[in-house]
Amino acid sequence: MAETRGTILVVEDEPDIRRFLRSSLGGEGYKVVESPAGQRGALDAGLHKPDLVIVDLGLPDLDGVEVIRRIREWSPMPILVVSARTQERSKIEALDAGADDYVTKPFGVGELLARVRVALRHAIRPPSGKALSFGDVTIDFEKRVATRAGAEIHLTPIEFRLLGCLTRHLGMVVTQRQLLSEVWGPSHVEHTHYLRIYMKQLREKLEPDPVRPRHLLTETGIGYRLLADEP
Amino acid sequence: MSWPGYRWVGYGGAAAAAVAATLIGLGMRPHFELVNIAMVYLLAVVAVALRFTRAPTILTSVLSVAAFDYFFVPPSGTFSVEDPQYVVTFAIMLGVGLIVSQLTSSVRARAQAQARLVLEAETERIRNALLSSISHDLRTPLAVIFGASSSLVERGESLGPDERHALARSIFDHAGDMSELLAKVLEMTRLQSGGIVLQRDWASLSEILGAVLQRLRERLASHMVMIELPDDLPLVRVDSVLIEQVLANLLENAAKHTPPRTLVRVRARAAGDAMTVSVEDFGPGLPDGDLEQLFGKFERGGGGGRGGMGLGLAICRAVVRLHGGTIWAERLAGAGTAFNFTLSLEPVPAIAAADCAVQSG
Repeated sequence: MAETRGTILVVEDEPDIRRFLRSSLGGEGYKVVESPAGQRGALDAGLHKPDLVIVDLGLPDLDGVEVIRRIREWSPMPILVVSARTQERSKIEALDAGADDYVTKPFGVGELLARVRVALRHAIRPPSGKALSFGDVTIDFEKRVATRAGAEIHLTPIEFRLLGCLTRHLGMVVTQRQLLSEVWGPSHVEHTHYLRIYMKQLREKLEPDPVRPRHLLTETGIGYRLLADEP
Repeated sequence: MSWPGYRWVGYGGAAAAAVAATLIGLGMRPHFELVNIAMVYLLAVVAVALRFTRAPTILTSVLSVAAFDYFFVPPSGTFSVEDPQYVVTFAIMLGVGLIVSQLTSSVRARAQAQARLVLEAETERIRNALLSSISHDLRTPLAVIFGASSSLVERGESLGPDERHALARSIFDHAGDMSELLAKVLEMTRLQSGGIVLQRDWASLSEILGAVLQRLRERLASHMVMIELPDDLPLVRVDSVLIEQVLANLLENAAKHTPPRTLVRVRARAAGDAMTVSVEDFGPGLPDGDLEQLFGKFERGGGGGRGGMGLGLAICRAVVRLHGGTIWAERLAGAGTAFNFTLSLEPVPAIAAADCAVQSG
């Protein structure tokens, strides 16, 4: 067997879903460790020290969100959440508890692998938060200079901070609460209209077609995601 | 028929009927015999019995006999009765009143039972239609999935790679359809059971629309989608996940029911305290018929087509209504259809100046 690209712990109670995850992740060269329940999963994370954990939110014995909290007590390892459509609230809870990203059931293998790759890349080589480029836009956060197609564009301090926060989680979803708290401060987590107004401004400055953004994406009801590559 | 106070309306009616009969009787006295005046009182008793319940009927009988006795039966001006035959008059009046009120109340009860039966039958009809529609729409993809997977399982080795791939592909496609349908059924059930609490939040329509276009990009690829939103469109306080679903259902419908390369246009405008959002298509238009019915649970907008079950529009209506808005369909001049819905507008709180100039860090 060739060298593995990393170890992934799968915490999922459905055997058939575990099998499909094992075969698709295994086929991509990842080593897969399986936990059929939450308690076990939280222990296995300490035992196997995986490079990434995939946690189903609908576990029978222990809430998936609790599994994430227990892992986050001691480790920053990337965590992906798998949730059903009806678990919108717990999805946000899981992200706020420290999960890095999510996929919604039913999901295709392509979507899952893309999320896994982004999260792993992020863990190995976290974005410096110093510079960013996508499309014809480049941003230098240290010099506070932004250009589009070579021409300098003006960004306000808030816009720089917002972009900076998204850049530090490049490719991954950032919840509204996280953004509001990091950019405006913890007392502003309810002020979602700030986000709507500033994201609109950012898109108008940085996106070729602000109504059809390719980089500053909305995850409706959850948060935002900055994609440097085309989706 | 039993709101508080209805009782008192009944007693008021009883008193009014007795007074009216007395006035008419006083007018008739110079020209008619007493027995005909008694008939007027009888009429009053019957009228009250028809309209109200038993107690006001009894009251009318008592009042009528008392008034008849006092004003008409000699010696008038007293309650004493010279002729025992008026005791019979009283008994007959009371008896007729009771019989009529008994008859009316049983007719009324029967009518209510009938109405309940009709309602139950209607509910049952809707439930059956919904079930048969769902089971039809689920059975087709299930049959494909079952058949295609069984041929992969049972004779996978004897198939060429192209065939295997085609079978896997159709399993994938039909599983996707089933998943969409099931999600809609669950959504509708949740909306109907009142189990949804709106998660209202400040939202930008253009942002929600952007997310929908991203999510549906494959399904809308065959059509030209044009977005016309005023630059100063205000924010709305809505459950953005549900409103995204409304826009997704309307756009999907537009794409499904019009030929490829047809234009689909989304517009919005704010006027007064409401925003109106329209999804217009320039396809063949809707067949004749009641447009309101399109929002019924299982209507198909004519033509049918793949997964054409009209749950989507029923969901749209439920969501818009939950938000206090209205949704309606409209035939466009020439050809095409517009689906419009309204969302109420609230003043958007200002951003505190201090928050714009956060310390640069």
